[in-house]
Amino acid sequence: MADPLLIFDALLGVALIALAIAVLVVRDRFAMIVLFIIFGLMTALAWVRLSAPDVALAEAAIGTGLAGALMLKTLHHIRAAPAAPVPVSVGVVFANMGFCAMVFVGLAIAFMATSLEAPGLAPQVAQNIDASGVAHPVTAVLLNFRAYDTLMEVVVLLAAIIAVWMIERGIEQAPARHLGEIYRGFARLALPAIVVIGTYLLWVGAYAPGGAFQGGAALAAVGLLLLLSGLYRPQPAHRPIARLGFVLGIAVFASVALLVASGGRLPFEYPPAHAKTLILLIEGVVTISIAVTLAALFHGREPEAIPVSETRA
Amino acid sequence: MTDLPRIDWPTLVVFMPLMGAMLAFVCPRQAAGLGLVAVLSTAAAVAALVLEVLAQGAVVTRLGNWGAPLGIDLRADGLSTLLLAMTAGVGIFVSLGALDSYAPMRADARTRRYFWPLWLLLLTGLNGAFLSTDIFNLYVMLEVIALAAVGLTVLSGRREAVRAGLEYMYASILGALLFLMGVGFVYLELGRLDFAGLIAAEPAPALTAAVALMIAGLLLKSALFPLHFWLPGAHANATAPASALLSGLVVKVSLYIFLRLTQYMPLPDELLVTLMGALGAAAILWGGIQALRAERLKLLVAWSTVVQIGLIFVAFARAGQLGLVESWKAAALLILAHAVAKAAMFLAAGRIKDEVGHDRIRDLDRSHIRPTLAQFTFALSAISLIGLPPSLGFAGKWMLMEGAMAAGYWHWIAVTMIGTLLSVAYFSRVLAGFLRFDRLRTPVGEHQGWALADAAPLILALSALGLGLAAAPILAFMEIGYPFGTTP
Amino acid sequence: MSSGMIFGLTGLAIFTIGLFGALVMVEPLRRVLALKLCSVGGGFMLVVAAWRAPPEVADPVPHALVITGIVVMISATAVALALIRRLHTLEHDSDD
Repeated sequence: MADPLLIFDALLGVALIALAIAVLVVRDRFAMIVLFIIFGLMTALAWVRLSAPDVALAEAAIGTGLAGALMLKTLHHIRAAPAAPVPVSVGVVFANMGFCAMVFVGLAIAFMATSLEAPGLAPQVAQNIDASGVAHPVTAVLLNFRAYDTLMEVVVLLAAIIAVWMIERGIEQAPARHLGEIYRGFARLALPAIVVIGTYLLWVGAYAPGGAFQGGAALAAVGLLLLLSGLYRPQPAHRPIARLGFVLGIAVFASVALLVASGGRLPFEYPPAHAKTLILLIEGVVTISIAVTLAALFHGREPEAIPVSETRA
Repeated sequence: MTDLPRIDWPTLVVFMPLMGAMLAFVCPRQAAGLGLVAVLSTAAAVAALVLEVLAQGAVVTRLGNWGAPLGIDLRADGLSTLLLAMTAGVGIFVSLGALDSYAPMRADARTRRYFWPLWLLLLTGLNGAFLSTDIFNLYVMLEVIALAAVGLTVLSGRREAVRAGLEYMYASILGALLFLMGVGFVYLELGRLDFAGLIAAEPAPALTAAVALMIAGLLLKSALFPLHFWLPGAHANATAPASALLSGLVVKVSLYIFLRLTQYMPLPDELLVTLMGALGAAAILWGGIQALRAERLKLLVAWSTVVQIGLIFVAFARAGQLGLVESWKAAALLILAHAVAKAAMFLAAGRIKDEVGHDRIRDLDRSHIRPTLAQFTFALSAISLIGLPPSLGFAGKWMLMEGAMAAGYWHWIAVTMIGTLLSVAYFSRVLAGFLRFDRLRTPVGEHQGWALADAAPLILALSALGLGLAAAPILAFMEIGYPFGTTP
Repeated sequence: MSSGMIFGLTGLAIFTIGLFGALVMVEPLRRVLALKLCSVGGGFMLVVAAWRAPPEVADPVPHALVITGIVVMISATAVALALIRRLHTLEHDSDD
């Protein structure tokens, strides 16, 4: 136990648990979201400690940054609602507390009884990485070995944006200025920088931590800034382009997967000579789709012509 | 491997609805036409897959040619293919019903435009889940299904629907996350996620935790009592074609994954099997009582789904730990029967509501309009749900009781009997309303004739009845490629 | 004790805290955050499953899975939040 890094880990773990509890018990809802964002960033730190920089990057950018922005936007929208609609009886709270404590103890016993040294798939990944077309193992898993999962994950994003557009039809959007005007000068300075960062993250994913999702998140931040600063206002006429942007990644990804199968190969079996090119192509279009979709998820409502009755308000 | 390039049907079965969903979303004006074409061509691909499975046994596709556990395999055996066929069949008729339900005079253009992409994404997720052999991939598929299903639940945009949809969303995410935690424990112990790895695994504490977490998540998603709280609201408040999809197909996915997992990861204890049967019995009783008390037709039908899910779990537990190797077949038969009959019933209930203008059960016999065909369809599907011969529901219940008798478990027979009596009771509340004319002084108006929307549920209800006669070939087909890993 | 052990238990604790929140909380936003905590707990378990005591390199497969999980979760969160906003608008309008 003399290792100072282990002590740091233990302190970080305790802080994470404390923050998780604080998120649930703090009364003020704004503070709740801020605590959650701090929790997310410290989670990313813990994952760096567990030698998972790719995951930490994705969690910080998407799981914390974008999720936090979405939560704040929603809080702004529902601020008129009472913070706690119905109080929960103490008995229910304690019963659930006891139940969850039992779940924790059971899972912890199972976890402690398991060795952390199972072989895993790392040897197989290392063995096949030369044939995959990319040098960075996580990217190889995402875009080659388990490409089907990744395709379906972009499908989940598509399902989400379709559902969100459907759900929020006909809702009057809260005017953007209440959300806090971001100084336009800052936006103009920051935008090119973020574009560069996003593209860099995408490019670097081939051999170092980074890749389509992190790059897409950074580019989505561009979209957020454009929306918040009012530099870009979604118009009904932009809908067809937006729709194309949402499906572009899946369409190209799925077509490549099927087209390689036409030459006597299996679906997703990229010809080794072209694997790198195909994966870069797929990553590029998927990054664009992820960025557009994430920004649109933040914006929420489908841009549509405002009916006359609503323009009055 | 040197012969002509084989068309890979399992992949197409997943990709066709996906392509259709994208096209329907990008071209909203043509959504209905494109959607129908996509559903039909998916069904054609499923038919081709059925023939292939019949000819050569289980079909395996090694995506990317890596092979599990590094890559992901798709596998179509008898059970998977049967459920794909069920989804395709129910899907076609619900789509036809949707053409009428969301016709310009009944629904606004936006509802029509959003139904098709969401339904096709749902179909992608359903087909993908039935073919998957990788538990993390199953998690992703569950989420595709969950998001599309929630979208379909709130299609009408009414307040009750949105409230129920949010409740459904919470339950759905929590169920998926419990499953994800189970996946984490599996990887911790085994270092792989494919089914073959699960079968080969030695019992270990981490795997027990994994089974417990995954089953808890699946029970929440399949709404087994007392985790059914989200279902009646969501299924009763959605529009009729969406309800038919939610009740007929979506619930079945988690039941299917449950069947698979228990085949591959034996439950640690006999007690657990009995517990699940007991919860099923409680679902039958509680759901039956609620269905007796329901004031609205669609709510009654939704509660009957809770009952039927309970019945499926009783079928599963009917012969205890030792019977598990066999009891999945009775459960699968009941899954199939419920999917077809319940889709028909929800579509018929939607038609009745459309024609009469309300679905208050008490006032159904006071209506001036008699949607005769829809009422007839409702009655036909009730026959299968109650379990009268020759319906598929009867075949399933018969297998259940046979197995329970053979094992000497009379309590499961008693539960099934009580459930049957209850279902007769609550369905006759509705059917009596259809048959009474004396409450009305004025002449009864005629139904508006043969509508496409009446044909679709009627065919579904008739097949729920008729498929009972084909129970033997269905059971034989189900066993193709079972048990896992003995691909001919 | 190792980093893997410490953070594995942390992840389990976060997961059960999230589970508790999802079962007990009534405020819509807090329920969403509770579910988010559950997903972070699940992520911890996979990241820990990938971890090997240095100088061994970590297993890349669970890392890819967690990245997938994060994207899936933001999608689900966005839909849940859209429902919350919609429901609030509907209830708010009916009060007027």
